[in-house]
Amino acid sequence: MENNAQHEGNHGGQGEKLKTSVYFCRCGSNIASRLNENAALLKIECQRDVSKVKAVNLLCSEEGKEFLKNDIMEDRPDRVVIAACSPREHELTFRGVLRDADMNPYLMQMANIREQAVWVTEDIDEATEKAVRLVRAAVSRVQKHEPLEEHEIEVCPDVLIIGAGPAGMKAALSIAQSGRKAVLVEKTPVVGGMPVLYEEIFPNLECGPCMLEPMMDEILHGEYSSNIELLTLSEVDELLGFYGNFVARIRKTPRYVDMDKCIGCAECFEPCPVQVRNTFNFGLDVKKAISFPFLGALPNAPYIDSRKCLRFIGEECTMCRESCPIEGAIAYEQEEEMIERKVGAVLVAVGADLYDPTNIPNLGYGKALGVYTSMEFERLLSSNGPTEGKIKNMGGSPPSSVCIVHCAGSLDENHKEYCSGICCQTAFKFNHMIESQLPGTRIIHLYKELVIPGKDDFSLHHEAKDNPNAEFVRYEDIRDINIYTPGEQENVQVDYRDASGREGSFMADMVVLCMALTPPAGSEELALKLGIPLDSSGFFEELHGRLDSVQSKVKGVYLAGTCRSPMDIQKALDQSMASAGYILSGLVVGRKLEVKPTVAEVDADRCGGCRICVSVCPFKAVEIDGETGKSSVNAVLCQGCGTCVAACPSGAIKGNHFTREEILAEIIGGLR
Amino acid sequence: MSEFEPKIVGFLCNWCSYAGADKAGSAQKPYPASISLVRVMCSGRVEPEFVLEAFNNGADGVLLLACHPGDCHYKEGNIRALGRHEVVVRILEQLGIEGERFVLEYVSASEGDRFVRLVEDMTDQLRKLGPLQIRR
Ligand SMILES: Cc1cc2nc3c(=O)[nH]c(=O)nc-3n(C[C@H](O)[C@H](O)[C@H](O)COP(=O)(O)OP(=O)(O)OC[C@H]3O[C@@H](n4cnc5c(N)ncnc54)[C@H](O)[C@@H]3O)c2cc1C
Ligand code: FES
Repeated sequence: MENNAQHEGNHGGQGEKLKTSVYFCRCGSNIASRLNENAALLKIECQRDVSKVKAVNLLCSEEGKEFLKNDIMEDRPDRVVIAACSPREHELTFRGVLRDADMNPYLMQMANIREQAVWVTEDIDEATEKAVRLVRAAVSRVQKHEPLEEHEIEVCPDVLIIGAGPAGMKAALSIAQSGRKAVLVEKTPVVGGMPVLYEEIFPNLECGPCMLEPMMDEILHGEYSSNIELLTLSEVDELLGFYGNFVARIRKTPRYVDMDKCIGCAECFEPCPVQVRNTFNFGLDVKKAISFPFLGALPNAPYIDSRKCLRFIGEECTMCRESCPIEGAIAYEQEEEMIERKVGAVLVAVGADLYDPTNIPNLGYGKALGVYTSMEFERLLSSNGPTEGKIKNMGGSPPSSVCIVHCAGSLDENHKEYCSGICCQTAFKFNHMIESQLPGTRIIHLYKELVIPGKDDFSLHHEAKDNPNAEFVRYEDIRDINIYTPGEQENVQVDYRDASGREGSFMADMVVLCMALTPPAGSEELALKLGIPLDSSGFFEELHGRLDSVQSKVKGVYLAGTCRSPMDIQKALDQSMASAGYILSGLVVGRKLEVKPTVAEVDADRCGGCRICVSVCPFKAVEIDGETGKSSVNAVLCQGCGTCVAACPSGAIKGNHFTREEILAEIIGGLR
Repeated sequence: MSEFEPKIVGFLCNWCSYAGADKAGSAQKPYPASISLVRVMCSGRVEPEFVLEAFNNGADGVLLLACHPGDCHYKEGNIRALGRHEVVVRILEQLGIEGERFVLEYVSASEGDRFVRLVEDMTDQLRKLGPLQIRR
């Protein structure tokens, strides 16, 4: 290692001066050949505050780092400036060297003389001048640096999972398999989400319940089920705390059936005198006030619909309890509970809803007979649905023609601008199921765009295209379709204008509307409770659409499945595994959480409690203390952007490592 | 007489703009040497005081570079920066400093060429305006 221009600090008696060493990297010939090295070193050496300058050939090489470490250990400077490449390339490298040399890593500043001086300045003298200026700015900044300490906090490794659809269930299982506890909160009485309601699942047309049952069984009775606390009929009421240390308050409404005692024999259904519309069949049929949501629903215990049950509207009825063979299984005395759980991370997997078809009145939903949404049609196809899987109008006969409307509400600036991604596949699944159950049925597909990506999804599309009874009509605007019942007729008339402007009309016995997928009902409220934002379409917003699509903007709150964006089951499960991966690798049992020191800090004495910082923080990291009225920054949540620092009207917030003094020193140093 | 070389202070956010300037560096695209770049984590960190102090200490112009709208690493820091830019321009004008001397622009990590063009454009503009007159 060759050392030029060595100069030991002697500052003419100014005892307070900090010993500042500048290491000048030649970067092979990258830097050395593009400036006048001797002149540069001389000028740097003469700068106020510089104690010594050393030029090194390749500071980031193993040899260079070893040299730097030894030199720092020998010399014990107070501050170090490294004049080399971009800090984006090697700041972490050199911080590591300082750490190895027993020096606080934050007492170093890099001057980017390669990318910002020699590589972009043709004239060699100008390049030399600029390099010297950049070093001066760095030297002047580093004088203001403060030693910063990384610290660690204890964390809770358990996980709260909201929503027991495929995404939530899969994540709960992986968490449980790793030996951690998962609290699985589901708002309905059943697990399985939307797909337990499907008879068949695209692209391979597996039976829906059969596909999900093994997963549901493992959750309820499997090897690791003791690690999963399933709370049905429950919703998160409040989430306090932060990554590693959340406290969730969960509101659990009563099932009025003791799940530990009930054996699911269904003896109580028959005697129940009250009929209610079955919401799991979207009101297409009725069930008893005490019943399963549908046959085969898990957990295998009925629930009492307390809005309709006579007991809960003031009458004394005990029919179900009387018929129950198990003492205490029917539990009228159950009350709403507020359950508190400590968790380290949260996964939001609350799925999606269908866009309300009455928002597009020309589609005839709710007015013309035989017009169904895709979810309702799934139930008609389902062997545990209202028609036991027979495709027919409620109370009617099998259709001889079915119209399937794709893209209903999707790709439409008046409704949902995005493509819902699953409707084409759903429509082709329907095409297949109609043709297999009722061969020869005329099927008219009205579509705007066909979206069939991926390696598996083409076969159902081919099958539909090859079906001689299937017709495809492309429309441009959903307003060009008009569905209604003409006069006294039983079936519906569909008038349309196709994409080329040609008008047409046909009669159909049944219409299926493939409605857009939307964020689930209540997502705004839930987002508020969890303190995470929604995106412009109302879905839960990811930290970064490409790089971090399963993390929300708040650290420790993850997202999976259709609550993030429309997607099929495969993607929902991929995301749930990705989230579980993040959680398992981020919160490790027995390991503490590292907290970075480069965050904002409030000086309570100067804080006026104006709350501006709270409102500008994108990460909910700033809070006002209820008692003192002053703000404070949670170092775990703070990402160090400095927006609150700049916004504070009292200058009470300090952005560690980007303090006002440090930045001003750099500005002025660069102008001198 | 040699041409006036305006002094510019550039505030660049770490994630997009600073990376864009690094890109210009690795592509070895020359630009006027009289600009000094100050790295901040996000454009939202830049306080009005930084801009005023830059002028006060001899800058002829200040360039604030942020991620493109919607791309801020911290979601909306660049929106804050936009709001503050408007305010600071008004303050500058009150002080008799032309608003054009403080420019907010967006540069992504891949836009090395755009970064170079912005520095050149700003330099041209400042040459037209001439050296900043009010000095204490
Ligand atoms: C008609 C139709 C047919 C489809 N067919 C297929 C197919 O064949 N193949 C395929 O791959 N994909 C299909 N899909 C897509 C598939 O339904 C989704 O990919 C899948 O449901 C996503 O799973 P999830 O767990 O994210 O959400 P969901 O299945 O919607 O589950 C979310 C769960 O969260 C619960 N929940 C909601 N809000 C709360 C709350 N606030 N608190 C607690 N719990 C809550 C819900 O009750 C539900 O149990 C179809 C979609 C539609 C609309
Ligand atoms: S990180 Fe670039 S503007 Fe916020």
